[in-house]
Amino acid sequence: MHASFFFLAAAEDGADAGKAIALALGIGLGALGAGVGIGNIFGSMIQAVARQPELRGELTGIQWLGFALTEAVVFYGLIGGLLAYVLV
Amino acid sequence: MKRALAVVALLALTLPSLAFAQSGEDETKFDPSEEWNLKTWGPDLKIGPIDMSINKAVAYLMLATIVSIVIGIAFMRIRPGRGPNRRQALGEAIYEIAQVQVAEQGLPTKAIGRWFPYVATLMIFIWVVNILGFIPLPLSDERWHVAGISIPTLAIFAATSTLSVTLALALMTFVFTHVEGIRENGSWAYFKSWIPDVPKAMLPMIIPLEILGQFMRLISLSVRLYANMLAGHMLILTFIGLIFLVTPWVFPFSVLLATVFYLFEVLIVVSIQAYIFAALSAIYIGSAIEPEH
Repeated sequence: MHASFFFLAAAEDGADAGKAIALALGIGLGALGAGVGIGNIFGSMIQAVARQPELRGELTGIQWLGFALTEAVVFYGLIGGLLAYVLV
Repeated sequence: MKRALAVVALLALTLPSLAFAQSGEDETKFDPSEEWNLKTWGPDLKIGPIDMSINKAVAYLMLATIVSIVIGIAFMRIRPGRGPNRRQALGEAIYEIAQVQVAEQGLPTKAIGRWFPYVATLMIFIWVVNILGFIPLPLSDERWHVAGISIPTLAIFAATSTLSVTLALALMTFVFTHVEGIRENGSWAYFKSWIPDVPKAMLPMIIPLEILGQFMRLISLSVRLYANMLAGHMLILTFIGLIFLVTPWVFPFSVLLATVFYLFEVLIVVSIQAYIFAALSAIYIGSAIEPEH
């Protein structure tokens, strides 16, 4: 049984533990913003379709485009965090 | 149908975990990021500074190329006349997504003839690479010794979860965008179209930002696909890895969570990312051909 069950959080000394916390906190905060954004997109989509159901086909493409663009923000944070973790 | 899919997904998840269990004895530490440590297969083929040797990601790319060619031939080359069958219906559905949802979304009408093949190929190829990444295939670096012969263990790995692959794809779109923009508009008019109508005093601040923005497209296009696939695989591998790291009793919990993420990735993320990459390529090329200003 290992204490470090996440591959990055090999928390053998204090500095590594601090970096792991910073990485997790950064990704978590990034996910917070993206969560709000994705909720907004789908909420607006529901409202739009409720008002004008005949537009659903046209709106679906835009909805997924917006979803992927918003979702990607978390991953920029993830990649940035990983880079900072590995390089610093 | 849905029940069959769940069973297949569960099987697909337990097979790699069995593979991990096999190889886990001689290793003291489980580390999912080892999966991205690409080892060279066979001889080192180096042409100057360019490394042409074959590794896991290259093998996956070659396989994906063959599969996408087969998809293209099987679904698009259909002899008409004997009434539509299922193969033809599926082929037409793929074509319609590529035409209506991707090409017409971004490309102006006069450019669809020239750039539809490119964006449709991007969509199908990226989808195939992504979906191959979630099918356990014996293309792993790890070996499983059974009855004297060593065979590669089953593992999941997507070539698009390496930055080099996605960056190469994004570079193609980047080059095509600017080549097409210059060819259609002339270089002066094209580069001038980057700069929006703002007061003259703002120009020193706007021009570097707009030039930077063109390069940010390259980064965002490649990192979006790369990080999505990387994070998806990392999540699944980490949840399966909990069994070997914490205690075997987390087995139901971790397999359940891994299955949920697996289904999310296979049903949503794989297709969305292929669609988004192709659609954004179409939008970028389209906006270079017909600038707004």
